[in-house]
Amino acid sequence: MYRKFLRLTKSLTVSFEKLVNFVTTQEHNPLYFHGALPLYTFWFLIFSGILLWMYYIPTLDRAWSSVNYISALPTPGDPINLAAGIPYGAVVRGIHRWGAAAMMIVTLLHMFRVYFTDRHRAWRWLPWVTGVGLLVFVLFVGLSGYLLVWDARAYYIVVATQHLFDGVPVIGAALSSFLVGGEGITDYTLTRFLFFHVGGAVAIFFLVWMHFIRLKEPVVTPSRATNFLLLGFILLAAGTLPAINITHELLAKYGHDPRIAAQAAYIASDAPAQIGTLVETIRYDAWYMFPYWLIQNVGTTWTWLILGGSTLLLCVAPFYPKDRRANIAEVVEAKCTGCTFCSLDCPFEAITMVDRAPGSKFKQIAVVQAARCSECGICVGACPFQAIELPELHSKTLEADLLALVKKGA
Amino acid sequence: MSDPKRTVIGFVCERSLPVERMLDEHKTLLDDPDTKFVVVPCSGMVKPTLLEAALANGADATFVCGCAIGDCHYRTGNLMIRERLEGKRNPKLRKTTDRRKVGMFFVTMKDRVAFLEALAAFKAGLDAPPAQED
Repeated sequence: MYRKFLRLTKSLTVSFEKLVNFVTTQEHNPLYFHGALPLYTFWFLIFSGILLWMYYIPTLDRAWSSVNYISALPTPGDPINLAAGIPYGAVVRGIHRWGAAAMMIVTLLHMFRVYFTDRHRAWRWLPWVTGVGLLVFVLFVGLSGYLLVWDARAYYIVVATQHLFDGVPVIGAALSSFLVGGEGITDYTLTRFLFFHVGGAVAIFFLVWMHFIRLKEPVVTPSRATNFLLLGFILLAAGTLPAINITHELLAKYGHDPRIAAQAAYIASDAPAQIGTLVETIRYDAWYMFPYWLIQNVGTTWTWLILGGSTLLLCVAPFYPKDRRANIAEVVEAKCTGCTFCSLDCPFEAITMVDRAPGSKFKQIAVVQAARCSECGICVGACPFQAIELPELHSKTLEADLLALVKKGA
Repeated sequence: MSDPKRTVIGFVCERSLPVERMLDEHKTLLDDPDTKFVVVPCSGMVKPTLLEAALANGADATFVCGCAIGDCHYRTGNLMIRERLEGKRNPKLRKTTDRRKVGMFFVTMKDRVAFLEALAAFKAGLDAPPAQED
């Protein structure tokens, strides 16, 4: 039943990709670069994030107005923030904001594409499980970014997260205290949020390394056309809907500026956070704030069950259903010259070269790590000496089949 | 005038085409009785020597069919065989092999018709004069 489901999803995915091929051609189909797209998008976030970081002030009274300064918006009542701001700062912030949305979209696209085409199981468990970790970290880093704005929504998120942590037995209070860096919210809290955001991004790099560790030559660059297309989408979104902090006060003062008036309904941040004053409803970002929608609509217990359960299901997905593993490549010791061709070509790093005993005719021999072998036979195609074989499809059987077919056709 | 009868042997990745629906019990292509398939788990498993053996033993042409480029189930099998047949990766196809008789197709399981068209074009090109070497 489950296998049938996977076959169906693969068939539907390939059909959809064929439709996309009509538009993009096979060479530039973004769906064939699905793994490279999140990494490519991540570079936008890193570089735009560094620019924002240069001007961000992580203190309770300055955070909101420093974000305004970046967006070239003065903050009424802030004597420091009356300068002209950062040229194109709102666009850079827009790149960061829309890039974050794009990041989650392409990450989910990558995950569903891999799952729907049944490329997540057995020997691929490590890239898949680290991929689940990456998804969690992308969510975490994205959410921590919303805290840095330090508007009413950010305060709501902090309070709701503390509420969520309070539901955890034994360590709930400690988690809650860890989140804000003490008993209450102080300037240290925002420094901590900045660390969560930047440190989380660094952790993403570490997980990406683990994600790639068993893949030979991972695809890290989309086609040039796909690069320009994604860049164009993000720049278009950042240029037409720049991320700026809009409040009623700002609107009253600068509403005559059509740029500000036009954005008010879309991506307006809330008023600066006021500790102790909680807004009743917040604007949800569809890609990052669904946990808070869950908290508000189904309660903390169900939120934990839904988030934890789905993460657990994703982590065990590669181990079911189990395939029969009977065709794992075998090295013919007498024929192996240690040429390394099989090791270089194996797509899953399943073959390592080890030293032979002193005095042997050849210096090294290939060794297959069974758990990593995909039974694809690429190593067989790479070996000029018939020194590595699939037990159930030996080269001699293949040649015999070939000669029989030639004979039949002649 | 009908086309002359030829023997064409294809090494076909089981994931690139719906082979079970395209072949009879003799592994002959239902749409083209001249063409017979040797089915392999991945096109990257095919050694160039197998293609040379097919030609040396009487096949008029031979080809490899793998998944669409960028979409190999095993990530790189189609790229490997393409590079081997283009002489960019070891083990390479011998330089003396008549390249007109060696085809490469990279398709998805939904490209059956496109594959048959490309195969027909490949067979039609077998009578073309040999390419001039630089």
